[in-house]
Amino acid sequence: VSGVSRGQVLSLCAVVAAAAVLPLGLRAVNAAIAGAAVHASYLPTIETPRPRQPFDDAAASALREAQPEFLIIGDSMAGVRIDPRHLSRVSGRSVAGLYQQGSPVAFWYLQLKNMVVGNGLTSVRGVVLFFRDDQLTTQVHVNGPILDRVARDQEPELDRVFAAHRLGRFSDVHRAARAVYQFDLTRAWLEPRLLRAPAPSQQLIDAVNNEIFALDKLRPFAAADLPHAEEALLDFDAQVGRSVLPLILELADASNIRLAFIRVQRRPTPAGPPPQTEGLTKYLDRLRAYLTARGAYYHDDYGDPHQPLAAYADGDHLRSDQRLPYSERFAKQHAAFLR
Amino acid sequence: VIFHSLDFFAFFIATVAAYWLLPRRAQNVLLVIASYVFYGWVHAWWPVLLCATTCVDYWAARGMTIAPHRRKLWLWLSIGSNLGLLGFYKYFGFFVENVAAAGATIGWNTPEIALRVMLPAGISFYTFQSMSYTIDVYRGHAPARTSFIDVAAFVSFFPHLVAGPIMRATNLLPQFEQERRFDPAAARDSALLVIWGLFKKLVIADNAGVIANKVFALQSPEFFVLWAGVFAFAIQIYADFSAYTDIARGVAKWYGFDLISNFERPYMATGPADFWRRWNISLSTWFRDYVYIPLGGSRRGRWREAGNIMITFLVSGLWHGASWNYVLWGGYHGVLLLLGRVCSSPRVLTPSGPIRVAGMFVLTCIGWLIFRETELAQLQRHLMLSPWETTPLGRSAGLYLFLLVGMYSIPLWIHDIWGELRGPNLSEAIDHAEPAVRWPRVATQAALCGLMVAAILTLRSQTALDFIYFAF
Repeated sequence: VSGVSRGQVLSLCAVVAAAAVLPLGLRAVNAAIAGAAVHASYLPTIETPRPRQPFDDAAASALREAQPEFLIIGDSMAGVRIDPRHLSRVSGRSVAGLYQQGSPVAFWYLQLKNMVVGNGLTSVRGVVLFFRDDQLTTQVHVNGPILDRVARDQEPELDRVFAAHRLGRFSDVHRAARAVYQFDLTRAWLEPRLLRAPAPSQQLIDAVNNEIFALDKLRPFAAADLPHAEEALLDFDAQVGRSVLPLILELADASNIRLAFIRVQRRPTPAGPPPQTEGLTKYLDRLRAYLTARGAYYHDDYGDPHQPLAAYADGDHLRSDQRLPYSERFAKQHAAFLR
Repeated sequence: VIFHSLDFFAFFIATVAAYWLLPRRAQNVLLVIASYVFYGWVHAWWPVLLCATTCVDYWAARGMTIAPHRRKLWLWLSIGSNLGLLGFYKYFGFFVENVAAAGATIGWNTPEIALRVMLPAGISFYTFQSMSYTIDVYRGHAPARTSFIDVAAFVSFFPHLVAGPIMRATNLLPQFEQERRFDPAAARDSALLVIWGLFKKLVIADNAGVIANKVFALQSPEFFVLWAGVFAFAIQIYADFSAYTDIARGVAKWYGFDLISNFERPYMATGPADFWRRWNISLSTWFRDYVYIPLGGSRRGRWREAGNIMITFLVSGLWHGASWNYVLWGGYHGVLLLLGRVCSSPRVLTPSGPIRVAGMFVLTCIGWLIFRETELAQLQRHLMLSPWETTPLGRSAGLYLFLLVGMYSIPLWIHDIWGELRGPNLSEAIDHAEPAVRWPRVATQAALCGLMVAAILTLRSQTALDFIYFAF
């Protein structure tokens, strides 16, 4: 590199420096606009202070009032399979569902911790969790905001688990950039304003989200919303210690709550149950042994003759008319657990 | 490695630093190694295909020189191997499905062949680029190179490997054969172009893409919601693809290479012919030079010319993907081009500039609907939708989504309108880098860089989408 003028090099440095320095102005803007609304995160390992949604006191209070004996926890896999009212009727037990579409395992742990154990639900005898394949040990990382409604101000156990799962090889760089530029904070106040700007009212945005793009308006897709297990992550013994699963088991054990884990059958083929790799089969054997050794109930829907391809809507979701029959079969099949 | 990742940033810093410490030949070796690492980052077997393409085309070109009487044989070896590779990875499943469907209609049940192969990213780009080298050697437009490393660097050059622009041997290969010097003025302008590319991808394309994806996931969208989604896709595909080109051009400049500009403000086009002079220029000119002209171009009468245009566009559509909607999209643009020629005759009255631009944009959007909707039954339904059969919520929602996309794309429109009226815009500026330092210009560039980085940090879509053209 020769024959380069000093002015040219300086001008290059000026442009590069500006790209790094000017975004620091976000801090000043944040201080002026969002300063008061900022809270320290309950996951300090992965998040800088940000505004957060409050804990869902209304849902917690409704549960306290209902005092159910059994709770069903999970994402849409649980939601499309169990109708809590029908299950209550056919099992003779009071059952409530805590469903959250697209929720990760960390969410289920916080539900158990803050909506059940920490919520004074003395009536609860058992909790049923529905999951897919290796979801219990590999689906760890989540964006903080999705947990806001079920998290307390401090969640040190969960934070420790997250600390063991850094976000890739540049996690510290990401974290430093978040702390220096505070762009998460800017996004938190800027994004809602931008989304609202072209709308005459918030009602329209709600209608667009809840009516125009409602789930039942979507095309039926064969593809599931959760990718199939990566073979590299199917080493159960390596994954379980870094996952949320031990926290769930310890919490339930300490609170005298029985746990049932139901592995749902993913979308079958026209010829029968979905193909299952040797790695996944081995993983599931280890998972079953691990859970039953700790006193949990385990059941695998795989190969259930009542769940052929015709019983499925899109992806791994059962058709809506399957909800009641599934609930009835569930009551019979797991009567011992529901006792 | 994808451009908008810290992996790439680290890779880029390390290779640029090492690159400028090396002599020319070693620089080319480094670029080949870096390009293979870049391409094999996620799927280690992809570089094997790249290497196979390079070897075949290197030896085919050499063979034409060593045994000139067998030039045609070498040419067909190159074309056959490139198209064979492309055909196997991209079109085999499509071919089998269509043969089975055609057989079923006459009661002939073919045995079920299930072969699902992963399409290696960028295979359509580098096979076309590599093939153009042997064709140019065959035609005598370029000499066969003796240096395998130079040819390998030409085929695999990582900044544009996965989504173009498709460079010609006559343009890019000589750049590998000459001494290169680091030019801070060009690097400065390129830094701005790279950041602009990242802004377009992460803020404009991905935010518009999320809306387009939601609309195209609907079973029965209403008229206004559908067309808001089409508008979102029009913004997404332009911002996304031109972003890749801008980043590729900017990054290449840091290694001392000039890649051609692939877009010249396509949504400012005044007609179909003008659009194709502005959109994916490297691919359009490739099809012009290697398909349309060899077919006879405009030399054999009007009807033959029209036929050649249609064949070229249909093949160009199929190049985009193994699906009938792409063929339809190509055919649609072929018809538009032919109609455009009729309308541009002096006997036909044509509207003035801005109206023509707006009209062409609407026609382009209709094309994007065909391009985006892979289910033909749904496409037919979409095209039959009436603006009169909508609900008040459908109308309001459509307008809201349209305005939302419009808001995210404001910088893109300003950039293009500025370039059209005042020029050159950011993309063109690196071709006019001035050696003398003008500090007001530098200050503007610095401010733009800082603002765009701040915008990327705060406004980037929460949902990261792949570059659309990776799929082609």
